[in-house]
Amino acid sequence: MEGKSVFDLEVGEIGYVKTFNNLDCACKLLTLGILPKSKVKVVRKSPFGDAIYLQLDGHKIAIRNSEGKAILIED
Amino acid sequence: MGELQENLKVALVGNPNSGKSSLFNILTGLRQSVSNFPGVTVDKKVGSAILSDKSKVTLIDLPGLYSLHPNSRDEKLVVNILTDQKGEYFPDLVIYVADATNLERHLLLATQIVDLKIPMIFVLNMIDILEEKNQKIEPEYLSKYLDVPVIQISGRKSKNIDTLKSLIKDYQTKGSADFLSSKQLYAIPKTLEGLTFDIAQNLNVKNPYLSKIFSHHFDWLNHFSEDEKEKINSIATKHEFDNIKNQLDETMSRYNEFGPIARKVVTRETNAPSTITDKIDSIITHRILGPILFFAIMLFVFQAIYSWSEAPMDWIEQFFAFSGNAVRNIMPEGWYTDLIVDGIIAGLGGILIFIPQITILFLLISILEETGYMSRAVFMFDGLMQKFGLNGRSIVSLVSSGACAIPAIMATRTISSWKERLNTILVSPLISCSARIPVYAVLIAFVVPKDQTFGIFNLQGLAFMGLYLLGIAGALAAALVFKYALKVENDNSYLMIELPQYKPPIWKNAILNVKEKVTTFIVEAGKVILVISILLWFLASYGPSSAMKQAELSAIEHIETNNLTEIEGENYLAGKKIEASFAGHLGKFIEPAIKPLGFDWKIGIALITSFAAREVFVGTMATIYSVGSADDEATVSARMAAEINPQTGEKVYNPATSLSLLIFYVFAMQCMSTLAVVRRETNSWKWPAIQFFFMGAMAYFGSLITYQLLS
Ligand SMILES: Nc1nc2c(ncn2[C@@H]2O[C@H](COP(=O)(O)OP(=O)(O)OP(=O)(O)O)[C@@H](O)[C@H]2O)c(=O)[nH]1
Ligand SMILES: [Mg+2]
Repeated sequence: MEGKSVFDLEVGEIGYVKTFNNLDCACKLLTLGILPKSKVKVVRKSPFGDAIYLQLDGHKIAIRNSEGKAILIED
Repeated sequence: MGELQENLKVALVGNPNSGKSSLFNILTGLRQSVSNFPGVTVDKKVGSAILSDKSKVTLIDLPGLYSLHPNSRDEKLVVNILTDQKGEYFPDLVIYVADATNLERHLLLATQIVDLKIPMIFVLNMIDILEEKNQKIEPEYLSKYLDVPVIQISGRKSKNIDTLKSLIKDYQTKGSADFLSSKQLYAIPKTLEGLTFDIAQNLNVKNPYLSKIFSHHFDWLNHFSEDEKEKINSIATKHEFDNIKNQLDETMSRYNEFGPIARKVVTRETNAPSTITDKIDSIITHRILGPILFFAIMLFVFQAIYSWSEAPMDWIEQFFAFSGNAVRNIMPEGWYTDLIVDGIIAGLGGILIFIPQITILFLLISILEETGYMSRAVFMFDGLMQKFGLNGRSIVSLVSSGACAIPAIMATRTISSWKERLNTILVSPLISCSARIPVYAVLIAFVVPKDQTFGIFNLQGLAFMGLYLLGIAGALAAALVFKYALKVENDNSYLMIELPQYKPPIWKNAILNVKEKVTTFIVEAGKVILVISILLWFLASYGPSSAMKQAELSAIEHIETNNLTEIEGENYLAGKKIEASFAGHLGKFIEPAIKPLGFDWKIGIALITSFAAREVFVGTMATIYSVGSADDEATVSARMAAEINPQTGEKVYNPATSLSLLIFYVFAMQCMSTLAVVRRETNSWKWPAIQFFFMGAMAYFGSLITYQLLS
C-alpha cells in the first residue's frame, strides 16, 4: 500500500499533500498549484462520480479520479 | 540604445484567465473575445496599441499557459514564440499579466520568462477585487525579487492603464535596460551543465536556461530544422537527460524560492468565508441538479431562438418584399432588373432574415462562457465524454458548435490528448450550427403546423430542438466509432482544469463580442451567397438556346390549348424555362441519385450550391423560385409551399420530402470554411476528407431511410 490519496478523501474532508506517485501527473499538478504541503479540500464529486472538485488555498480545480490517485496525502 | 524604437513588439503573457485579452481590448480598442473560461484565447492576436503621445506599438495577445513546460497545442504556441528569437512574433517586451488574488501560482511562468532574458513589465491585475476586501499589497518585494517594474492595475475598472502606457513609452524611448532583469532566478543544476554547454556550443545559444528548454521540448519546437533536432537529441541522449524529472526539479525549486515572496506581497486571508461562487456551485455542480440545469439551459436557449425572434424576422421579411417590389417599379424592365430583384435581393433577403435568431444564439452562448459556467460543464461531463472517446473540454466545442463549427474546432486546442482532440474536431460539425437555422426554419414549416403548442412549448420550437438532438446523437455515435477506430500512441489524457470565480459578464464586452461574430457571419455568408446567387441566377435564366426556345414554344402551346389565365400562364412559362436552363440540366443530371431520398431536380440544385455553405440553401431556393415565377411579393416559403410535382400533382414539400431534406442537412458536411480549418488544425487533407465522406454517408442514408419509411 502506498498510503492515502486525494481519491480516498470523503467529500468535505481536508488533506495535506505529501508527494506524487506519477511523475507525469506531478508535473502538471505542480503547475496548477498543487504542491507538497498544500492543503486540499474535496468539495464534491462530479455527477457520475468520475471527477473531483478540489478547493485549494486560493482557487478551485477539477481533476479526474485517476489524477486524484496520483496525489498522496499525509496520514 | 537610446533611439526611439519603431515597431516595438509587446506581447501579453500570463496564466489562463488572468485578464490578458481584457487588457488587450483596453489598450487597442479592438475587441478580442473575452471570457471567463480558462483557454478562451487559443491563437495569437495582433493589434496596435496607442500610447499617450499617439505613438503606436504592436501588441500581441497570446493564449494563457501555466509554465514553459506546456501540455496543449495553444500553450505550445506561446513557448514556440517566446523561444524563437528570430521569429516574426518574438516580443521586445513582455507584459506579464498575473491575477493578484492568486499570486503564488502566477509567479511560476513569470520567473521562467525572466530567466529567458526577455524584458518585462509585471502587471498585478484584478486589483479591484483585493481593494474590495481591503487586502494590503506590497509590490516592492516582487519588483526587488524579479528585478523588473511591477504595477497594479484593474482591467475591469480600467485602473492605472495610463501608468502601464507610460512604462511602455519609457521602453520605447529609453530602451530595455530598466526592464531586463539582471537576475538568474533558477540556477541550472551542476548535473546539467555539461548538457547546456554542449547545446550552447552546437546551436550558438547563449542563455543556459534557453538551452535547458530546448533539451526538454526540441521535439515539437517548430523553429528547429530536422538536423538541429537530431543534434539536440543526440546531446540529450549523451548526457542521459531525464525530461520529466528535470521539469519537476525546476518547478519545485522555483516554488520554494518565490513562495515566501508571494506571501509577503499579498497577505493571504486565513479562513476565507465561503464565497458566492461556492454557493452557486453547490447548485450548479450538484450531482443531480447540475445536469438537469444544464439541459434546462440548453432547452431555454432553443426556445429563445424561436420565440424571441419572431417579430424582428417579420420586419426584415416585409422590408425585403417591399424593396424587391420598389426596385421593379422604379427601374426599367430588363435583364439587369431581373438580376437585382431575382438574384441579389432575393438571395440576400433569404439569409439576412436569420440575423435575429443567429444573434440570440451567439449572445446566449457568449454569456454562458463569460460567466464561468463552461468550466463547470467540463467538470460535470468529463467522465461521460470519456466514454465517447472525448474529453470534458470537448463539451465547450460541442456547445459552441451550436453557433459555428469553426471557433469550436479552434477551441479544441486546449485538449492535450491528440486522440480526444481529433475526435472532437471530427464530430463537432455534426452539431447543428447557426447556418442550419435558415434551412430548418423554412422546412420545419412544411412538417409541423405553425402556432401549435404542446403544453407551454411551441411545437415548431420542439421540432427544432429535435433536430438539434438528432445532431448531438449523431455526433456522439460518430465519436464512439472513432474512439475505437482512431489509433494513437503515447497519448496523454488529462482533465485538470481550473474552475474560475463566477463573474457577471461585462455587458459591453458581451455585446461587442456578439456584434463582431454576427457581422463576420453576415459578411462571410453574404459574400458567398451574393456570388452564388448571381451565378445561379445566370444559370437559371439562360440555357442552351435550342432547348430554351423549344421550351418556350411548347409552353405557349400548352397555355393556349388549356386556356390558362395570364398569371397562371406566366408562371407555367417561367417554370418550363428554368427546367431547360443550365441549372435545370445540372439538377436533372443528379436527380436519379437523389430521387430515392424524395428530392427533385430543383432541390438537387440547392444541394449542389449548398456544398459551398449550407446557408446558401435558402438563397438558392429564393433565386430558383423567383426566376421560376412571375410574382415578386411572395416569400420563399410561400413559393415552396405552392410547388406542385407535375407528375403526381401532389405538393413537392410534403412532410416526407421535407423531413428527409431536414435529415440531410442535419448530417451533411456542407461548409468549405470548416473543411479548410480542419485541414489547418490537423495538418493534413486526410481528416477533412474522412469527415466529408462519413458525414455525407450519414446524410444520404439518413435521408434514404426517412423518406422510404414515410412515403
Ligand atoms: N474583477 C476583475 N475581473 C477581471 C479583470 N480583468 C479581467 N477580468 C475578468 O477575468 C476573466 C478572464 O479575462 P480574459 O481577458 O478573457 O483572460 P485571458 O487572460 O485572456 O484568458 P485566456 O485567453 O483564457 O488565457 C473575464 O471574466 C474578465 O471579465 C479585472 O481587472 N478585475
Ligand atoms: Mg485571452
